[in-house]
Amino acid sequence: MSLSEIHLAVALLLLATMSIGLIRVAIGPTPSDRLMAAQLLGTSGIGLLLVLIPVIRVPALIDVALVFSLLAAVAIVAFTRRRDGEDA
Amino acid sequence: MNPLLLGFDILLSTTLLGLALAALTSREPRRGVILFIAFGLLLALVWARLRAPDLALAEAAIGAGLAGALMLSAARRAARRRQ
Amino acid sequence: MTFMTLLSWLSVACILAGAFFFIAGTVGLMRLPDRLSRLHALTKADNVGLGLLTLGLLLEAPGLLIGLKLVLIWLFVLVASATGAHLIAKRALRADGEDAH
Repeated sequence: MSLSEIHLAVALLLLATMSIGLIRVAIGPTPSDRLMAAQLLGTSGIGLLLVLIPVIRVPALIDVALVFSLLAAVAIVAFTRRRDGEDA
Repeated sequence: MNPLLLGFDILLSTTLLGLALAALTSREPRRGVILFIAFGLLLALVWARLRAPDLALAEAAIGAGLAGALMLSAARRAARRRQ
Repeated sequence: MTFMTLLSWLSVACILAGAFFFIAGTVGLMRLPDRLSRLHALTKADNVGLGLLTLGLLLEAPGLLIGLKLVLIWLFVLVASATGAHLIAKRALRADGEDAH
């Protein structure tokens, strides 16, 4: 088994955990649960992009992972801001 | 073609399709928006897999990040107006 | 065994350990009973998993810039995850009836 096959197997495994985590996004039960699961999805997506780089040999994907990590907080801040607006 | 890569592609496409169906058929706005954000993340992964890092960048920044935040705020206004 | 093969074995070990932590986080997300314990499980497990994964890829990084970007990605994820977990937990503690509307 070569090195890039191990990377591909890890990528497949991460994709499988992402698809299972999507069930939690879909069933909830509360909106916080959904957003939490979406955050886990973002983190696994970054890991997936990083191990995909040696497999498909596109080094520019590291910039995509960088943007993923930069925008991870935006959705959560937009989601929780709602509560403060209602409290005021 | 490598069977592992084929399995990866099939899992990625079926997950994306199922996610699109779930986002379209959801009746509660906030659930739909969060599912749409997850859909944007997965679509960016699909562009990355198709060796198009520029499209993946645009999809991650605009589709999942900015549009998701704007739609969350719009869903909140819609819920407030309905009350 | 030369130094290079030792390094690549170490890298594979780190990546596999990172994948294990991702699986542990997903199991916690699916199996734990309530919201705060789910938050506790996955905001720690997936950060450790990503850290081990970047460490494994760092051992094989082709250049200084790539390595720097890998470390930077992990730091950004740490900051975003800590902030997000705090915000979600605060909201979950304060907001009663957040699903009412």
